[in-house]
Amino acid sequence: MLYRVIEASEVPALVSAFMEAYEVVAPVRKGKVYAFDVITSPDQIELNYDRTITSPKKYFLPPKETLMTFDSRENQVTDFTAEITPRVIFGAHACDINALNRLDVVFKDGRYPDPYYQARRAATLIVGISCMPTETCFCHLWSSDEARFGYDLFLQDIGGKYLVSISSVEAANILESACNPREATDEERVEFRHATRKRQAAFNPDIPKIQEVAMLMDAFHEDSFWDEFGSKCLSCTACSSVCPTCFCFDIRDTLEPDGKTGRRERVWDACTAPQFAEVAGGHNFRSDAATRVRHRMYHKLNGFLATHDRMLCVGCGRCVKACKANINPIEVLKFFERKGAADAQ
Amino acid sequence: MNTQSNAIQDRSDALRVVVVGLASCFGCQLQITNAEAHLMDVLGQIDLKYWQLASSDPMPESFDVAVIEGAVTTEESERTVLELRKKASVLIAIGACATTAGIPGMAAEDFIERPVSVYEDVPDACGEMISPRSVGSVVPVDFEVRCCPIDSYDFIDVLQRALYGSNKTISTATLCGSCKRNETGCFYQQGVMCLGLVTRAGCGARCVNLGRPCNGCAGLSPDANLPAAREACKTAGVAVERFDKALEMFNQTDPALRDA
Amino acid sequence: MPSSCAVSTVRVRPFEESPERRSGAQLMAANPYRPWPARITSITDLTEHEKLFEFRLVDDRIREAFHHQPGQFVELSLFGVGEAPISISSSPTKQGFIELCIRRAGTFTEALHKMQCGDIVGIRGPFGRGFPIDDMRGHDILLVAGGLGIAPLRSLINNIHDERSDFGKVTIIYGSRSPSEVMFRNQFEMWKHRKDFELHLTVDHPDPTWDGEVGVVTVPFAQLEIDPGNTFGAVCGPPVMYRFVIDEMSKKGIDYDHIYCSFERHMKCGMGKCGHCQIGHQYVCIDGPVFNYWEAKNIQGSM
Repeated sequence: MLYRVIEASEVPALVSAFMEAYEVVAPVRKGKVYAFDVITSPDQIELNYDRTITSPKKYFLPPKETLMTFDSRENQVTDFTAEITPRVIFGAHACDINALNRLDVVFKDGRYPDPYYQARRAATLIVGISCMPTETCFCHLWSSDEARFGYDLFLQDIGGKYLVSISSVEAANILESACNPREATDEERVEFRHATRKRQAAFNPDIPKIQEVAMLMDAFHEDSFWDEFGSKCLSCTACSSVCPTCFCFDIRDTLEPDGKTGRRERVWDACTAPQFAEVAGGHNFRSDAATRVRHRMYHKLNGFLATHDRMLCVGCGRCVKACKANINPIEVLKFFERKGAADAQ
Repeated sequence: MNTQSNAIQDRSDALRVVVVGLASCFGCQLQITNAEAHLMDVLGQIDLKYWQLASSDPMPESFDVAVIEGAVTTEESERTVLELRKKASVLIAIGACATTAGIPGMAAEDFIERPVSVYEDVPDACGEMISPRSVGSVVPVDFEVRCCPIDSYDFIDVLQRALYGSNKTISTATLCGSCKRNETGCFYQQGVMCLGLVTRAGCGARCVNLGRPCNGCAGLSPDANLPAAREACKTAGVAVERFDKALEMFNQTDPALRDA
Repeated sequence: MPSSCAVSTVRVRPFEESPERRSGAQLMAANPYRPWPARITSITDLTEHEKLFEFRLVDDRIREAFHHQPGQFVELSLFGVGEAPISISSSPTKQGFIELCIRRAGTFTEALHKMQCGDIVGIRGPFGRGFPIDDMRGHDILLVAGGLGIAPLRSLINNIHDERSDFGKVTIIYGSRSPSEVMFRNQFEMWKHRKDFELHLTVDHPDPTWDGEVGVVTVPFAQLEIDPGNTFGAVCGPPVMYRFVIDEMSKKGIDYDHIYCSFERHMKCGMGKCGHCQIGHQYVCIDGPVFNYWEAKNIQGSM
């Protein structure tokens, strides 16, 4: 990987250079919170944001997208057009980049590459930015506090300057044209190590570090904890809406008002939605909130790991904020901690 | 020819529809007309036999689909609903009044005492009043279009579902997920009460998008978790009593509210 | 949407016919969400509630590229109504046609039951992992179906029938609630007299016309003679049936990893993405729908 250093004052020029050829999406203020949105000026970017409500996932798997249009009288597909905007996501945190890498496993690679996702992924550049943990961040527990791949540029704040990791030619050319990237000095390399240490030391110490989480998810699968924990669920699906790695969806047909034509849409769905595991005829394989919550946590902290060798949680902490019932992975870790303490007695 | 074409092709094959208003402001019937640009397209798919808002002719003897707006508040309207159910193969309840008893339902508590205490003589025009109730509590309902008022396109979608069939999931998830998708902040973070915690999703969190908390017009979700929602209120510093009181506006007659 | 200056949104159509003629497999892979037109070529009433539909894919390239294993499923589209996963009832040996056995149980199947020969539907697939037919060759087979469970098992049964010499002793137990609910009754009545199939048709509630066996599907196990080391079991039926049948098979000495069962879930995408069919860490649509009992036991929440 190539590393260069740029001054913080050069960032607006870099953003402007991207804006010449791409739609630039970046963290901006939205009332009292932050959200990724299209910017029209580099001034709008809030690079010191703590967390956006949802993740850049929405640019690859939109909350609602048309897979195809059809003629319902002929019962045939009429078109598949997907609208793809060449785009730069400027200012993604490491957790969100790691989350995208997980989505790639399901949608880009594997046996059934998803043409809609693939087209968007191929047309998008990712510029990452380093961050400091908030009190609900636990990315370090799943090694998601560093983005090892999955970006075009990654900007590491080293105090008034950025150490930039450069991973694609496309982004390198723009960086070169807009800024004066230079070799890092020994001092700057030390700065980088300091910044990393500072980040690692800043995680909330109250979030328990538990070993073998996946195995514990199996070992305590039948524990009464899940009934109590899951019975608090409000069935609102906020968790998966904000989750950068949740990718479940529903496919449904909607007719145009004339009833003659329609569109087949893919919309975000959630395994915590009451009807998620319902089959034709009405039987629901997860009819109560407790089993749904357990299933979601199990997929996050065990299931995906079993099949793809990594957790389907990146510790971004969004669900910790979004869930009004305090259902989140930290609470699961605390449960395991209590179990461990109880066993030790 | 497939199932869809049969219904659309020919007016003589089209399903015969009646639209009836009970105790309501008629706003939901008006919302149907607000589909404006698409109204003729929609009417073209059905054989509209009666529309209370627009016709003074008596209701026909036979029809296939009955669309009912409004709550049941009199013995007469209860008979009407029973009659509609008997004659129609598909019954669609539209709007908060029909689906949850809505605003008329607010009178359900102390129903007998209240009118007498307000009016000296209860006017005859009101008919033999009965405690307000939703259409669904009188007869089985096949489809619902929720909210106060209904969304014009929701109505078209549900009507088409009734005409042609659809295996689209009817979700009972609550609203907060919609606000996350819309990336609007949460009222509870500002200590402001919002009924989205327990109200059915489906409207897209329209009020919240306009800067107002959810007032619950879509009705309590059957999966609403009232104890957990009350806990959430406490955490946010919102008085549980206020939350419970606010829920009565659209859910007065919901047994879940009384049992909890 | 506000957009930065020089950006233009492109409309991509990566799913269209490219200048060079693509093969059926390439066409299907280009957009695996795309249903392909298929014509209904035959409709047979099986019972009051079930019909057997036979389909033929219209595009010859797609038809030639469509190969399935017994136990796999397709996604069937009625545009406007929706899409539904349906297990394939025909044997792979019946080339060029796909048979689906469909119970009228909801809006989608209701709409399908109204359709007629010559009508067009959409089909994509086949999806999933079926029965391990190649491993099964050379072995005895014990098939147990309950109710609509006969639909996926019929694919396996007919495959075995068409390649009968590849298999050892074949025993079929098929249970229904009542005689009027027995599907493919003619086929099975004819097979009653064959020496190369041991057939047990049983019903829970017989009527005066019924001269077959009576009782649940586990009843015939008492009379079965099984060579457990050389037998594959295959089970499909309502969820409550599995435990009892698998118990009986285990008692006969068949290993857990030689007992195969097909799971029912709502596979919406068929490709391990949408999540609706997930059980524990597995996706029924790609890891199943056919699992052996050992695998099934290792899935949290499967039984």
